Amino acid sequence: MSESKDRGTFKVPLELRVHGRGGQGGVTLAKLIATLYSRLGLQVQTFGDYGSERAGAPIRAYTRVDDKRITNRNKVYNPDHLIVLDPGLMSPAVLDGVAPGALLLINTTEEGAAVAKRYPSLRVGVIDATSIARKHGIGTASVVIINTTLVGAYARLLELPTEVIADAYEKVGLSGDLGAAEEAYGAVEIFEPTKAPEGASKAGGDYVLGRFPEILPLTEHITERFAPVCTGDWRTQTPHYLFHEAPCNGECPAGNDVVGFIQTLKADGADAAARHLSATQPLPSVCGRVCPAPCMGGCSRRLYDGSVNIRGLERWIGDNGDSPPPKKDENKNPKRIAIIGGGPAGLSAAFEAARAGHSVTIYEAAEGFGGVLRYGIPEYRLPNDILDREIRRIEALGVNFIPATAVDSEKIVALSKENDAVVIAVGLGRLADLGFGDLSGVEQGIAFLRAVKSGERMSLAGEEVAVAGGGNTAVDCARTALRLGAEKVTLLYRRGREEMPAIDDEVSDAVEEGVRLELYSQPVGAKGEGAISALEVAEVELFDYDESGRRRPVVTDRKRVIPCTRLFMALGQSPEEGLLPDGWSVDGDRVINGVESLNVWLAGDISTGAGTVAHAIGDGRRVAALALKGGARKEENPKVSSEGVRADFFEERPPMAEKHLPVTERITSFIEVSEGIAGPEEAERCFSCGTCTACDTCLFSCPEGVISREGESYKIDGEFCKGCGICVAECPRMAMDMSALEAGRQ
Amino acid sequence: MADQLISANHAAAMAAAMAGNANRSARGFCAGLYPITPSTECMEYLCVAELSKGQVVRVESEHSAMGVCIGAAAAGARTFTTTSSNGLAYMAENVYVAALMRLPVVMVAANRALGPPWNLWADHGDSLMLRDSGWIQIYCADNQEVFDSVLMAYRIAEDKRILLPVMVCQEGFILSHSMAETNIASQEEVDGYLPTLDLPHRLRDDARTMGGVDTPAVTEAHRAQHHAAMSNFFEVYGEAQDEFERKFGRRPPDLLVPYKLEDAEAVLISMGTISSNVDCIVDEARLRGVKVGSIRVRGYRPFPELQLKELLRGIGRVGVLDRDISLGFGGALWGEARGVAEPGAISQGYILGVGGGDVRPKHIEALLEDLLKRDSATAPIVMETNL
Repeated sequence: MSESKDRGTFKVPLELRVHGRGGQGGVTLAKLIATLYSRLGLQVQTFGDYGSERAGAPIRAYTRVDDKRITNRNKVYNPDHLIVLDPGLMSPAVLDGVAPGALLLINTTEEGAAVAKRYPSLRVGVIDATSIARKHGIGTASVVIINTTLVGAYARLLELPTEVIADAYEKVGLSGDLGAAEEAYGAVEIFEPTKAPEGASKAGGDYVLGRFPEILPLTEHITERFAPVCTGDWRTQTPHYLFHEAPCNGECPAGNDVVGFIQTLKADGADAAARHLSATQPLPSVCGRVCPAPCMGGCSRRLYDGSVNIRGLERWIGDNGDSPPPKKDENKNPKRIAIIGGGPAGLSAAFEAARAGHSVTIYEAAEGFGGVLRYGIPEYRLPNDILDREIRRIEALGVNFIPATAVDSEKIVALSKENDAVVIAVGLGRLADLGFGDLSGVEQGIAFLRAVKSGERMSLAGEEVAVAGGGNTAVDCARTALRLGAEKVTLLYRRGREEMPAIDDEVSDAVEEGVRLELYSQPVGAKGEGAISALEVAEVELFDYDESGRRRPVVTDRKRVIPCTRLFMALGQSPEEGLLPDGWSVDGDRVINGVESLNVWLAGDISTGAGTVAHAIGDGRRVAALALKGGARKEENPKVSSEGVRADFFEERPPMAEKHLPVTERITSFIEVSEGIAGPEEAERCFSCGTCTACDTCLFSCPEGVISREGESYKIDGEFCKGCGICVAECPRMAMDMSALEAGRQ
Repeated sequence: MADQLISANHAAAMAAAMAGNANRSARGFCAGLYPITPSTECMEYLCVAELSKGQVVRVESEHSAMGVCIGAAAAGARTFTTTSSNGLAYMAENVYVAALMRLPVVMVAANRALGPPWNLWADHGDSLMLRDSGWIQIYCADNQEVFDSVLMAYRIAEDKRILLPVMVCQEGFILSHSMAETNIASQEEVDGYLPTLDLPHRLRDDARTMGGVDTPAVTEAHRAQHHAAMSNFFEVYGEAQDEFERKFGRRPPDLLVPYKLEDAEAVLISMGTISSNVDCIVDEARLRGVKVGSIRVRGYRPFPELQLKELLRGIGRVGVLDRDISLGFGGALWGEARGVAEPGAISQGYILGVGGGDVRPKHIEALLEDLLKRDSATAPIVMETNL
């Protein structure tokens, strides 16, 4: 060894040892420090002590510095500089070979003076590099990389100017981390040794432990059994199994457990799935036909090979699951509830209240129950016998159905006195109009659909029909008109195809059947003597996006005239006025009288205006529970993120299409167009996002082999789990999570 | 030329890429690669290296990696691969094929113990397993030597008097993953050192089979030719050193590197990085008046038997340090050296640092002490370095 040579506060030859945990960047730290010295014109050698372990394992790394060629290649046993990345590692083994006067740099949140007091013969630098690195966003939220920050503190201990770090970081492409290093440079607390070194030799100091033993041939110890290393002590975070809410569940306005019913179908068949679904869904066969299925829009398979046909599966379960009426819960405090309106929201509220063991009466103005389901949605989409069957299941719960009874404001007051709660779910009664006056042939689409669904089969032979609107009512009107023999059916919508609120498949079916779409078109005037004969249509341009996320339509003065003998208006609905007694008003979904909250609630479209059966079902259930003080049942769960699902674990398998009647048969009858999916196999496509399926991926991917099956789930052996997180990263469906352990725990 | 702070894995990859690019006006370069610790970083570097002609072919196994090299070399390309341990074992069949077809493939072996049980660390046992495969084997002791040896390997392998594959061995992690300042030549300098490859028996437009069937007599002739090519190595190596020194201004070490052998009564023989610690102890012992020297063996195949015999003349105590164990025999290097030692000398084998045990100067000191007090040699001593 050559003579040591002073360079500021360090001498060469110099040996440095880093103690950290796998994943903290300790090996790179030693290399960065070597780069620093190399940039100062010194010879360096740097290497990690590579182990078979991964994240969390104690690791060491070394750097040697000299002003002449470095030849020896063994590890560093007498470090002049010691850097400790995790205070939890501090032990006699870490201090082994460290002589008085040596430099110790430690990353800790502990107060500097307290740390320095424990090492009186060392020069101690104390820095909370983790906080600084986290603040500067180095690494990830769970794994903060502190090496580049620590170099700043180290350089300060050496009294090197920060330019040296800047130069080295530029050399290795880490200039982005310079800010953190500079902050650490300023923040490191330095404590000089308070106890003078005894003697000049490295050996013999108060921290030098376990000097080189005798070198022996391998003897008896060859037969010793090595004690297991309880690697569980290493971890700073721990994996666990955790249900995450799947995107389909999150999207379902009715609050259905989509993943749950599909997985139940897969595992236990249709009857069990129907029972599972009935926790939230009184009308599975109905929703399985007419729901716009936002769940499918959220499905993790959507961009992979096509969404799971969830609506088709719901229909299959509703039609094939032979589940008895859901069981009524015991209720020691049954209440009386009156529900006004027999549409989907009212039926859902009744179902929820009756299942909870309350006494339920439901009033409906029409002869039949179901509201828009019975009188709005055409037979070819939703046959009445399907609806009747599901209503019978609700009746079987003991709900008192009172048809043909309109409820006015006076009756509402009476009901609120006779009942513990009243839920008003009458939907939207007021229809938007184009203001074309009294020309015959200009009709409301809803009235037309109601007449046809009630059995009227007026002929539209030879007629040129126009429908104004882009929602499901408009599409239903257009397709119904075709079935009644219309010569030509044109659907006029002011925005584009993408923006049509109608269910996309229904629009496709309509086009297939012969409905002409005229988009960016707005009827602005009707012509005709007594009866409509032509329609004036203006072009629409779309401008900036409005609050609904759609572009704002502006009607231009570019007009055309199209022949038209009948116009159906399907332009949306709003609540009827004058339903509530004088003085009553609405606060959210509750009715109030002045400041007094009444036992009267609103549910469904009249309250939300959402306009889908699924929303009505969800809202009806929620409001019924609130009205009966049942409280909200929904738990808040973490959600499955799109990057949490590992689609590459799954084979591509396109969705199962529903079988449709041929067009020629469709347009001459009101037979149901879709026959649904052929079987439950579509359930196999469900990724089961967020819900463990016991697929064993975690078990297979654990590098330590510490995950084992336990019943239907798994057990993680905490004594040996290092918290590497591979199981969580590998879980195909995000049914696991990592949580941090407190620093210093073990 | 510029000094860079890099690992030996990266130095090896840089040398291979530059050697490949130096063949751009001929049949270019091809590397068949498959990853295994601790040689993976060398592969990774090559996968993103800029190649002016040719390509890296990533395959599904080491066997295929050598297969790619064999095919490409047979077609006249300069070829390279790198592997370790069980990867080398899996490659073994094709390792023989490359040699027996006289193809100048260059491989960097990052020495690692064979498993199971799995061990990632340095041990010369993997490349020594292929001692008799007909490859030239060179063992390195520092980062610079790895870079230089890869360049030399091409010059030697492709020499018409040789036409044999060369394995450049570096200890896993100790060299492969250690960073040190390494002088990296420029492409122009490498171009000047390495002539383009013109393999005389390469496949051209004529259809024929390489490596068909030999009758016993032809095999005898082939082996004799192969063996003769091996014996040409020493002359060609010397020329490659000379030319290297002319082109790069530094002389790569000899196949045997003696240290303080003058008047030595005892000598320690070793390979690879252990030698650097041996030299530290030689220095210390000399200060105490102990007449000891050392020899580092850099060329293991062909074995520089005559040169070693010359160096060992008159030395009565020979300690041979092996980072390997030929199970049921002892150290492989000891097996070679003891037959060359002076008749009557005490030739004692020491096996240490197998499976990556960290060999420290103190260990060398202990075994030197053992060697100096011996009356006779015993069976090789298997040492522990752990505690």
